[in-house]
Amino acid sequence: MDIREKGYSHWEGELKTSRYNWLPIFFNGIKTVFKKKYAKLIFASSGATFVVFLVAVYVSTKPELKILGELVRLLKSDAELFKTFYTNGFLTFMLVILSIFSGADLISTDLRFKAFPLYFARPLSRSDYLLGKFSVILFYLLLFTLVPGILLLLFKMIFTGSLAVSPMLLLAILVFPLLECVFLASLTLALSILSANTKFIQIAIFLVYMFSNNLAHMLKAIFKNDYFFLISLQGNIEQLGSFLFGLQPTHVYPAWLAVLPPVVISLLAVWLLSWRIKKAEAGS
Amino acid sequence: MKEIIQLENISFNYGRVHAISNLTLTLPTGIFGLLGPNGAGKTTLLKLLLGFLTPTAGEGEIMGYALAEKHKSLRRGIGYMPESDCSIPGMDAVSLTAYLGELSGMPRQEAMKRAHDVLYYVGLEESRYRQVDTYSTGMKQRLKLAQALVHDPKLLLLDEPTSGMDPNGRKEMLELIHDIAKKESMNIIISSHLLPDIESTCQQVVIMNKGRIAAEESIADLKKDNFHVFEIKVVGEQALFFERLHALRCQVQENEKAMFKILLPGEISPAALFNAAYETGVQIRHFRQSRTTLEDAFMNVIRESDGH
Repeated sequence: MDIREKGYSHWEGELKTSRYNWLPIFFNGIKTVFKKKYAKLIFASSGATFVVFLVAVYVSTKPELKILGELVRLLKSDAELFKTFYTNGFLTFMLVILSIFSGADLISTDLRFKAFPLYFARPLSRSDYLLGKFSVILFYLLLFTLVPGILLLLFKMIFTGSLAVSPMLLLAILVFPLLECVFLASLTLALSILSANTKFIQIAIFLVYMFSNNLAHMLKAIFKNDYFFLISLQGNIEQLGSFLFGLQPTHVYPAWLAVLPPVVISLLAVWLLSWRIKKAEAGS
Repeated sequence: MKEIIQLENISFNYGRVHAISNLTLTLPTGIFGLLGPNGAGKTTLLKLLLGFLTPTAGEGEIMGYALAEKHKSLRRGIGYMPESDCSIPGMDAVSLTAYLGELSGMPRQEAMKRAHDVLYYVGLEESRYRQVDTYSTGMKQRLKLAQALVHDPKLLLLDEPTSGMDPNGRKEMLELIHDIAKKESMNIIISSHLLPDIESTCQQVVIMNKGRIAAEESIADLKKDNFHVFEIKVVGEQALFFERLHALRCQVQENEKAMFKILLPGEISPAALFNAAYETGVQIRHFRQSRTTLEDAFMNVIRESDGH
């Protein structure tokens, strides 16, 4: 006898109380992004940098191979290698594309389809919701920065046969991608909540990336002052990389200052997201 | 009887607009209709109960949890069917219902199994693997009911549950609500402006007007004795006649040309109608006592709470 014939039936189980209420949002988001059209193409492109650097690490151990000469020269310094891997223009561009692909629609779609009452009528706080959404972008960004960074380190050890790695370098390899990804994920999520139109959000994220960099270069050229790179997404990532890997700063301003814009933008994003969700929740 | 909702002097303002003013309400277990004209504060009250809004004054308890506190624990026991057309796109109905069950605290496998059950129950068994974006309005209403039921809540809040449904769908939805209400452990509050929906599912109603409780009693009591309803047809100078009726605190509604429905306060004799007609030179050509409907009772309560 089916449920309709016998009438409404109660569920006999017990509801769990968990500190990780955001986990279903995370798993659902991961699955949704993976099922998207062009997902594999974007993932493959994002992983291309890792393949090139892996080949370069291998070639550096085989002097008879004469390919990737420029890159192989970098490998003489581990710090330079990993800084270049994390901050190279192509990877940064792909991370922006990945942010757009995995995160632009995360909240804007919920806004467009008025999904907030469905979420917030459940034992879910605003921070659970944001953490769930945030973790989706962070997962994909770390998958193409931190994970290949660690793999690159392991392969380098295997190819050179040496396990020696300085603790500061190891720390930088782990911390830099985390900071970079938290910054990009916060920016993406903050922009994602500005409109219910996903196309608008995608364009906005891309413009922030392109425009901030071009504007910084223009202002630098006019005023001959490197501090303008503080407004550049790419500029800050490069400067932060130099700072954490203990290298000569890319731009002429205290390297620690490069931490400020990402931190300020991330905090602003959290505030904006909480305020916007509260507003939408009340109006739903 | 145990109270499920106890509110005392609750107020809520949207800026300068008083949406809820000093509202005091005690609801025992059972099924209740929440009625009121547009802007009466029904949806605001539901949002306060869910913790979407925090009252500007007053205090209360829902299922033993203090209002505006412990939202997570409270919401674990509440199922909410919103009025707005809401969904999470890119998912089929089973995944969506199971996902929302998981967010309520159900284990994943249990949520999936239960999602199948509730979708079958609401009549979406054939289309449960279809993307929810492709659903019709009626199917979306059923899906909203399914997601509200998936975690088997103690309190079900239904905001305009039959909105946008065709007559058959509406009948089935009301049957489902009726069936759920038969389970004594489930308490239901239905907010609707469709009075027949409330009349067919609830025995008790709460009528709101201008952010206050205008009445809180059983439909039977509401329709009983405090006023009589007559249908009359008049010929002659109607304006003066109706002016006289208004002075008697009667409510006049025009049904069709020259046919009027008169709501006469219980303490006034029907003879007063004839006296008024005689004195104003109007002829009553048709006079019939009518059955009191919930709509009549509702209109009467609103009129009285407006101070007419």
